[in-house]
Amino acid sequence: MEAMLSVDYIHVYYGAIHALQGIDFHLEQGEIVALIGANGAGKSTTLKTISGLLRPRTGKVTFNDVDLAKVEPQDIVRMGIVQVPEGRKIFSRMTVWENIAMGAFIRNDRAKIKTDTDALFERFPRLAERRNQLGGTLSGGEQQMLAIARGLMANPKLLLLDEPSMGLSPKMVENIFDIIQDINEQGTSILLVEQNAQMALAVSHRAYVLETGKIAIEGIADELLQDTKVVEAYLGTH
Amino acid sequence: MTEKPILRGLRTGLVFGLIMVFLFLIGFTDTGANLVAKMLGNPTPTNQHPSVTYYAIFMALYATWCGSAAANRVAAGTSLINRLGAGTVGGFTAGAICSLTGYIFGTLNQQGIDPRAYLVALSPQTIQLFLFNAESVASGALTLVGVMTAGGLLGAVLAVAWKAWVGKRLIGLKQDTGHLYQNVLLQQWKDKALVRYALLALLAAALLILPRAWGSYWNYVLGTVGIYIVLGLGLNIITGLAGQLVIGYVAFFGLGAYTFALLSAPEPHQISMNFWIALVLAVVVAAVFGFLLGLPILNLRGDYLAIVTMGFGEIVRILLKSDLLTSFTGGPKGVRDIGGPTLFGRPFNSDVDFMYLIIIAVLVIAFLANRLQRSRVGRAWEAVREDETVARATGINAFRSKILALTISAAIAGLAGVLFASRNQFTGPEDHSLLVSINVICLVIVGGIGSIPGIILGAFALKGLPEVLREVESFRMLAFGALLVLMMNIRPEGFWPASRPKLENQAEEAIAAVPAEQKV
Repeated sequence: MEAMLSVDYIHVYYGAIHALQGIDFHLEQGEIVALIGANGAGKSTTLKTISGLLRPRTGKVTFNDVDLAKVEPQDIVRMGIVQVPEGRKIFSRMTVWENIAMGAFIRNDRAKIKTDTDALFERFPRLAERRNQLGGTLSGGEQQMLAIARGLMANPKLLLLDEPSMGLSPKMVENIFDIIQDINEQGTSILLVEQNAQMALAVSHRAYVLETGKIAIEGIADELLQDTKVVEAYLGTH
Repeated sequence: MTEKPILRGLRTGLVFGLIMVFLFLIGFTDTGANLVAKMLGNPTPTNQHPSVTYYAIFMALYATWCGSAAANRVAAGTSLINRLGAGTVGGFTAGAICSLTGYIFGTLNQQGIDPRAYLVALSPQTIQLFLFNAESVASGALTLVGVMTAGGLLGAVLAVAWKAWVGKRLIGLKQDTGHLYQNVLLQQWKDKALVRYALLALLAAALLILPRAWGSYWNYVLGTVGIYIVLGLGLNIITGLAGQLVIGYVAFFGLGAYTFALLSAPEPHQISMNFWIALVLAVVVAAVFGFLLGLPILNLRGDYLAIVTMGFGEIVRILLKSDLLTSFTGGPKGVRDIGGPTLFGRPFNSDVDFMYLIIIAVLVIAFLANRLQRSRVGRAWEAVREDETVARATGINAFRSKILALTISAAIAGLAGVLFASRNQFTGPEDHSLLVSINVICLVIVGGIGSIPGIILGAFALKGLPEVLREVESFRMLAFGALLVLMMNIRPEGFWPASRPKLENQAEEAIAAVPAEQKV
């Protein structure tokens, strides 16, 4: 069977800088795939290319057999690829509730939106408590939850998570990764970009290690966790 | 007891005193007295100097303000004597500073030195008035101290009384969150549907009757205010809702006015098109230019966008003025004898008719703006304003949203231009200078960005007040500056800040469900 998302040898440039040098990977329906690697390896660039904010010079991205080369970012969202941007970007001057409502912007099924909202508040009780608080007044972890919740309101088939653990306390990181696993179990495929390789490998099925715009290593997540080479290079030795 | 209340009074008095010295040096004391005279229904005849009585009232009022400010700044819980003392000291300090200044200038004046060489507005009469037209400089200076000290004491008494009794019980003002007063009674009234309808009916009746009753001068002044309300509501869509700072907004106003003018004036094209057709065409032309301008520039953000649009505004004005286009636009002398509206074949162009037309335009645009703000498009605009990247991640076409906002804004400016040109029966390039844009931006900010009632209030404050307060004409920029500083201190979000509309009923239910102590 053809992969849900397939990224075929994409080359992406920022002006003269050759940021992605033939990134090639795929993601099957129902998987969590992690892209790990150091700063500047090209993880976020890959995500931006998938969501249409950047365009590959060569190579292509296909989603459910549709070539995304000519699809506008907002239409990519409509096709079911939803990105949760890096750095907990939420609408800080809107309330929690309004943020979540904005997530459903592309949908027209009012009744379903309402039940989805209620279900979402059940899943994130902390957001439910704070539903009338302004987004900017939430703690870092709560903002990350809100960003994910807003992404879920668009009914994604594939959720792109960009560094969800960044700047969070260890306890909150665990909390967020639990949520990610939970979302996946409900049927949403997830592409996870992380610097916290240990945690990312623990929740994902497969992983790709990026290094200066290329894929250095790929494999089953559990196996990578055992691989001494990966552990030494990316996870630090304990 | 302690020195503290006295020190507070001293400091407050110092500030108030220095401000008054400054006002005296620019000759504002005369103006102040004239304002008082006008307010008491006895305006000073032109070319005459205001009477001492009104000047004394003016100074006493100022000192009262100073005294109450000083008394209010004393920490809560201090004794009555201390608070009254602070006010008195405040008034006395301000008075002493003023009187010292007065004494110096009075003496110079007696020795025949005219300070107007350096301070153009400081005439001998102003100096004499500052010293109560007294026989000797010294007695005048003493009177000044006396009046201001008494004013300070009065202010302190008023401040204490206000806090103790009047404010709380008489008109239902409650001190809320430390510094903002919230009118509880007003809030309760507003919630009653009957009261709301009665107020609406009253407003409708007033809008219907007043244009006939208050004469052509007021129709002119308030017509201008109305046109600026329309402009403000238009700019609010692109700047307030979609968050794109457009400084050259006047360009669309000018395009609307000129399109209409050229289509309905005998010179230079001999087209005398029907008012309504020309109006529609002018609005369409403005909208098309908004759309076309948006295509290349709306990818710019922030300052860059502001500067490029400002350039566009200037280009339009300079083109309208240029010799190159004189045969087409009338050049620097503008377009005259612009046609007025007709209704069912009869002319509809008296000042009263125009007032009605402007009122209708304001109502229609306010309604439209309100609907847009609450629509899906409005939500997309707000999302783009808050964070464009995130907006795109939620599936909003940011570029299309912005283009739409600019096109609608431009169309509304075009409508304002038509009303302006048609009412004045004349329009020239200088009617469309950058200052108009700045004025509109100011009134939107002063009123409260994104808030429709705020913009109406802002237009009255910035375009209406200067007309009413003709006396302060030459101090207009000073008054603007003071207004802005005052506003940024007491209402940083504008006089009537926007309360974002709740997206759906559910939000209100949710709010009701939250326990009271969690409400922010």
